[in-house]
Amino acid sequence: MAEHEHISCQEVVELVNDYLDKGLEPETASLFEQHVNFCDGCDWYLDQMRTTISTVGRVTEEEVPPEMRDKLMTAFREWKRS
Amino acid sequence: MNAYKFLRADGTGVFTRFAWPLPGDTPGAWVQTEPDPCRSGIHACRVRDLPYWAGRVLYEIELDGPVVEHKTKVVAPRGRLLRRIDGWDDDFRAAFTRHCADRAHELARAGGIERWEEVIEPSIPEGPALLSFVAARIAEEAAGVEAYHAERSRQAGWIADRLRLV
Repeated sequence: MAEHEHISCQEVVELVNDYLDKGLEPETASLFEQHVNFCDGCDWYLDQMRTTISTVGRVTEEEVPPEMRDKLMTAFREWKRS
Repeated sequence: MNAYKFLRADGTGVFTRFAWPLPGDTPGAWVQTEPDPCRSGIHACRVRDLPYWAGRVLYEIELDGPVVEHKTKVVAPRGRLLRRIDGWDDDFRAAFTRHCADRAHELARAGGIERWEEVIEPSIPEGPALLSFVAARIAEEAAGVEAYHAERSRQAGWIADRLRLV
């Protein structure tokens, strides 16, 4: 990544989790932030990801209704089989 | 060392959303973190870095402690905002955007890359960060990565000359 001087919107989508986990190399993180600085779409996407992580992070297992938990587990198992 | 820092219009960090202590008649309070480029630390721009990070409001910042020089930024453990750069206002942002758009047209025509022409004018409402990038990308496509850096350097010179930044 470091040999490039910029990254694309698609690369922002691919890297966003690592960016939020502070897992990117400094040079890549810098290119990521430069892109987000000029791209309103990616800035919005990053905001949405932050909001989602923040919201999901506040939900405990006990707060998920049993029927919803069953649906989620079924969907997850089917997704793994597909 | 003294450097520059862009913030959002509400005085928060562009990426961290940290609410910076703003300067008034005196500098803002010191802010301290552990320096680690792009992970933590006080991030700031040298003059040559300004076009990469063009934002809403610009401050001069005093950095303290070991400063890590990065390709397009500097990072230090401590910093405080000294003063707002009043010249970096909406009019200046618009003028820099227009300058970059004109330069982008010039580079596209000179490089025979007409397809960029369709991108330039519609991008103007997005502001200086995008237009400066577009101009640098056209320079790169026409003449390689060195031209990208040369265009960024040229943009920094344009800003520094008009705002008298050193």
